[in-house]
Amino acid sequence: MSPMDDKTFHELKDAYVLGALPEDERAAVDTYLASRPERQAEIEDLMGVAGLLALAPPEHDPPTELRRRVMSVVASEAARPRAARRSPALSWLGRLGGLRNVALGAAALLVVGLLSWNVLLQGDVQSLRSQVEEARTAEETQETREIELGGAWAEQGARAEVTALKNDRAILVVEDMPSIPDDRTGQVWVINNDVPEPSGLLDPSGNMAATAITKPLGGADAIAVTVEPAGGSEKPTTDPVLVKEL
Amino acid sequence: MADAGKKYLILADEDLMSLMEAGDADAFAALYDRHCRAAYSLSYRMMGERQAAEDLTQDAFLKVWRSAAGYRSERGSVRTWVLSIVHNRGIDQLRSLASRRRTQDRVKQSAPRSQPSEAFAETWRNSQRDQVREALNTLPSEQLKILELAYFSGYTHVEISELLGLPLGTVKGRMRLGLKKIRDYFDQKDVAVPR
Repeated sequence: MSPMDDKTFHELKDAYVLGALPEDERAAVDTYLASRPERQAEIEDLMGVAGLLALAPPEHDPPTELRRRVMSVVASEAARPRAARRSPALSWLGRLGGLRNVALGAAALLVVGLLSWNVLLQGDVQSLRSQVEEARTAEETQETREIELGGAWAEQGARAEVTALKNDRAILVVEDMPSIPDDRTGQVWVINNDVPEPSGLLDPSGNMAATAITKPLGGADAIAVTVEPAGGSEKPTTDPVLVKEL
Repeated sequence: MADAGKKYLILADEDLMSLMEAGDADAFAALYDRHCRAAYSLSYRMMGERQAAEDLTQDAFLKVWRSAAGYRSERGSVRTWVLSIVHNRGIDQLRSLASRRRTQDRVKQSAPRSQPSEAFAETWRNSQRDQVREALNTLPSEQLKILELAYFSGYTHVEISELLGLPLGTVKGRMRLGLKKIRDYFDQKDVAVPR
């Protein structure tokens, strides 16, 4: 998508603050705003007006049981160390330290791929990009969202992105991936309530790899990649090299 | 909460957020009690049924708890932040539903009517709600409908265009005019837009 110009921004800003843009246009506006910080105040002001709509609905009292459920979770998490509470699903990632720093250190990532479900992509970047453009026009890939991953690999120049499709399907594509020994593999983990679940193997071809994520991301707390013995592990045995809180 | 003392009742939302960041569950409870009604009402409006509204509200408040450090007071009030989380996650859920329960009937729901506040602490917030509702009542129905389809039902501008059989430019224009009219309402009353 070509960079957004001022005219297009003005056409889209109202839909943007109402949450009425499809993902690609929303991302384009985000990119535009990142490059035009002087517009930020304007958009925040408009968001304030749109946000007033949240006060309009007829009032309903939430059930007391809902409060009990929410407080039950909060009480259990409050007992944990701060880092674990903020990211309860990531306590096992704590060894990496400074997830916030990781996120800040993550470079801007390219959109590199959309694949058919259950297909392991291995190929060159150009081929991937072509498939991306084709896939974006397909019905299956309507309403997608991209999730950039940060971490040690990103700091080394890798570009990693999860593309979440409809129906809780998702793929992970890693470009410029650091080399790993032949007897090791990248393993994807989807983390729910502090439990990392094996969610796909990331076997590289050259300096890139892609895999379908076999566990649903809906409701998950984070996604991460570790380097594991070939064939994968039941539980992560090393620090994550890629990670993203959801 | 009852054993945690009354200090939470008099603390500002921003102070509660600071305590939450430090792991204070009682501060969260106080914040929940202040804003759960508005959050649940918005959830109910977006999802259209009780169970989904409860799930969305729970999801949003757990996000509030876990992301307290991410709140920036210069970008708006805590309430606005909480409701924006409800809204954003509600949009995500609506768009991921295989079968959308959004119907024209919901779109055409009449303007909401205020109900008596149940506590003094709610008075000011209720006053703001009344102002907002009054502002919305000044909108032409065709503008209000489009704002509702977008904000509460999660439709994109293109979907609204198709749904209503209107040119996309018309939809964009009505969004713009609708938001402008809400702002004008507060400007004319010389009242700051609540944040």
